[in-house]
Amino acid sequence: MLIQQMRSISIFIISLFCCFIAIQLNAQEKKAKTDLAKTLLLNGVTVQADLASLASSFLTNGQNYSMEGSVQVDLKHKYYPIFELGFGGANKVTTDNVGFKTNGLFGRLGVDINLISQKKDAKPTNNLFLAGVRLGMTSFAYNISNLQITDGYWGGTEIINYPNQLSTKIWFEVVVGVHVEIIKNIYMGWTVRNKNLISQDVAGQPAPWYIPGFGLNNGTNWGVSYTLGYHF
Amino acid sequence: MKHIIYLLLIILVPNLISCAGDSQCTQSKYVMLEAGLYHVSYNDITKTYTTSTLTIDSLTVQGIKRDTVTGKEFPVDSLLYNNSKSVSKIFLPLNKSKLANESKFTITFNNTIDTITIFHTNHDDYLSLECGCIKTHSIDTVSTTNHFIDSVRIVIHNVNTTNAEHIHIYN
Repeated sequence: MLIQQMRSISIFIISLFCCFIAIQLNAQEKKAKTDLAKTLLLNGVTVQADLASLASSFLTNGQNYSMEGSVQVDLKHKYYPIFELGFGGANKVTTDNVGFKTNGLFGRLGVDINLISQKKDAKPTNNLFLAGVRLGMTSFAYNISNLQITDGYWGGTEIINYPNQLSTKIWFEVVVGVHVEIIKNIYMGWTVRNKNLISQDVAGQPAPWYIPGFGLNNGTNWGVSYTLGYHF
Repeated sequence: MKHIIYLLLIILVPNLISCAGDSQCTQSKYVMLEAGLYHVSYNDITKTYTTSTLTIDSLTVQGIKRDTVTGKEFPVDSLLYNNSKSVSKIFLPLNKSKLANESKFTITFNNTIDTITIFHTNHDDYLSLECGCIKTHSIDTVSTTNHFIDSVRIVIHNVNTTNAEHIHIYN
């Protein structure tokens, strides 16, 4: 009887001990998970430069040129808010000797989402397949020169110039791309983007031929970027 | 990943190729005043006026230019219509000069000559870098002699690239 009581007491003490250990382990695990969640919220910042816009400027012989960089934040390896800043311009002369000149700063604000699902409890991959949106804006001045109107019947030629025209343009972009870590903390990325102009020109008024950050003043443009960046 | 890179190349290559070269002007730059010819007849029995399209057997049109310094008028070298047959509409180019606010024409209807003067205001209308600028006009008033022409009515004041009959000439 006494042996049975002692056995019951020892089982109770062992169970109590096991419970205490389990509670302790659980508490430690919760703390670790909280720590993990904290590190996952902000996973660093990547500063990138776009090489495609520089190459494109070279290909067009400076007829239109652009250079840009960006800062992208990694939130939970899922969301990537981005700010892109650049400088672009154009110096174009048509076959009829009509000239167009502009330059200006532009900015884009947006967010990318990583479409590659991260496995739970696995080390997150640094190779990303991103899809996102941007809202772009630029405010710039431009000149259009040497527009000729010739009167074929009554005779005479008039030359029209539009100097110091001011314009502000807003557009949105839909972006898809890849982002790969090629060496530790060095990232290479491609994006293809469809740009859609929100601001419209007034018919009959001198509209800009080129918009910094957007490209040629068509309603819709395609753009490509090839970025090289460092992850802090 | 390979597929994505191929997809990017497929989108990128035509895009880069399309950037090369000058694009051509595809917009219309044709700005002419269109005048329709009409005949008005009066029916004594019904006591109503009836308007019908008038077709001229022989029509000649020539611009009359005014010297900006001397104010003297002289005919433009070329004829717009030279003894043209079966004409029921006339297309007239208005003077594009910055200083001009009138365009004067002599119109020979068969053997009867009339002079028509269109007073207008010119506007610069920017199309694109490739197409440049055109002059559009807004008709203020029209005056005419009345040998063959009975009256003129302005139907549409704005003369631009839109195809429309701007004035009616009645006989």
